[in-house]
Amino acid sequence: MRHLSARLAYLARTALRGLAGSPLPSGVAVVTIATTLVLVGALALLIANMQGLLDRVAKDLRVSAYLSDDLSADERADLLQRARTLPGVEAVTLVSKEEALRRFQAGAGGRSGLLEGLDENPLPASLELTPSGPARSLDGLRRLAEAVATLPGVVQVASSQDWVDGYVRAVEAMRAVGAVLGAVLGLAALLIVANTIRLAVYARRDELEILALVGASRAVVGIPFVLEGALQGTAAGVVALGLLYALFRLLPPVLGPDLALVLGFVEPRFLTPAGMLALVAAGTALGVLGSLLSLVGGRPR
Amino acid sequence: MRPWRHTPEGPAGEAPIRLYHVSKSYQAGAFALRDVTLEVGKGELVFLTGPSGAGKTSLLRLLFGAERPSEGQILVLGRHVGELRDAAVAALRRRIGVVFQDFKLLPGRTVEENVRLALDVVGTPLREARARAFEMLKQVGLQHRRHQHPLELSGGEQQRVAIARALVNEPEVLLADEPTGNLDRELTFEIMDLLASAATRGTAVLVATHDRGLLERYRRRTLRLEGGHLVQDLPAARPQA
Repeated sequence: MRHLSARLAYLARTALRGLAGSPLPSGVAVVTIATTLVLVGALALLIANMQGLLDRVAKDLRVSAYLSDDLSADERADLLQRARTLPGVEAVTLVSKEEALRRFQAGAGGRSGLLEGLDENPLPASLELTPSGPARSLDGLRRLAEAVATLPGVVQVASSQDWVDGYVRAVEAMRAVGAVLGAVLGLAALLIVANTIRLAVYARRDELEILALVGASRAVVGIPFVLEGALQGTAAGVVALGLLYALFRLLPPVLGPDLALVLGFVEPRFLTPAGMLALVAAGTALGVLGSLLSLVGGRPR
Repeated sequence: MRPWRHTPEGPAGEAPIRLYHVSKSYQAGAFALRDVTLEVGKGELVFLTGPSGAGKTSLLRLLFGAERPSEGQILVLGRHVGELRDAAVAALRRRIGVVFQDFKLLPGRTVEENVRLALDVVGTPLREARARAFEMLKQVGLQHRRHQHPLELSGGEQQRVAIARALVNEPEVLLADEPTGNLDRELTFEIMDLLASAATRGTAVLVATHDRGLLERYRRRTLRLEGGHLVQDLPAARPQA
């Protein structure tokens, strides 16, 4: 145990000595990883907020089935019962022609006079279907709209499906861009870190030769470099987190209307604690992988 | 062919260094060593001599596992060096001290840290490693220079530091490649006395040198290489101390 802690202390001392001995390459590695994390993190933040908007919209999703004016009161009541038995339905409300007119007038504001002068109320009665929990998805909404459209007396079906559909596609596209961007930038950062460590290995080749001569194992020679990579990556993760938070605080007031176009009027949220941890861990992982990559090929015997 | 018995620790009483029909070639047909067979016993100080390019350095490199033989068998402390994996080579080197003409010290570390290196890599606790390094530096007369860096020391002092590093983990075998090549006469004898004292403590010491003055002064067993062949094995001229 004493030997293990002494060995760990030696490895840590060697890693810190290595970092202190090459501040410029280490700084370049930290900046590279931090830049990657800020770009990917910003995209992840945007996607998370867009997903948040989708989740909130999902709670208010409705399907409206407009009914024929020819239906009698009994037929409408029968239709209401049948709609309640459809799969994925939580609640159904019958909106009469009169209620539809009242809602229109309440919602139209200054344009409520549009329907004045008509002999009769042109707005149809409708059924408003609220999907149950599991059906509150794009597919669930689509299935519900298709099912209610088959009921006799239903002349038209409307839902927020089209809008949601487009928004979901936008979120998915952002995700794809994020994945590609993350992969490309991550790979670039990985190679830069690997080359930085490789330079450090080259600069310290005399030391490594002497270590090999005195019987240092492969692990004792390699672990300090991996620790250096881990420290660089972790530092970059913390720097990226700080930068991302600064951007998060500074950008919304500047972007204002543009951001509202994407996120609606939902209050933007920063990364969750787990997300922050993941960002720093991603930095550490990039540093460790980069240093492992640099050590591939080993040392002279 | 003599059957070598392979045991991890080496059989009791068998020589720590044994070579049997060892050849080493770097290119087809060009041999650095050719059919060399020899033994160096425990506590023995042996000179390895010969002109430049005779194969002295190649032989030492084979002994500490920097290279593998092209033919033959090498046993150091009972281990077949040519067949060891990297981890086993590292483990073997912890039982061998190596000294070079160019010292191979780390200029960015203090004298004490250089000596401690062999202890640090095996996880010796810092306090113990410092005490042992101090003791070793005392033996080579450099304890007062322990906080200085190698480049602040003379050539002779640097070589004494290198010897202290080679001896600090009490190796069973000590290999020295032209350890006095850069030193004046007085320092040469000072360094050789340190190596000889290691032999008196039971370490098998093999010193490669082409310094005839050393051979004449110490009159120890001398192996002569020429063109990769072992051409002479002269016994010690007087009983070893």
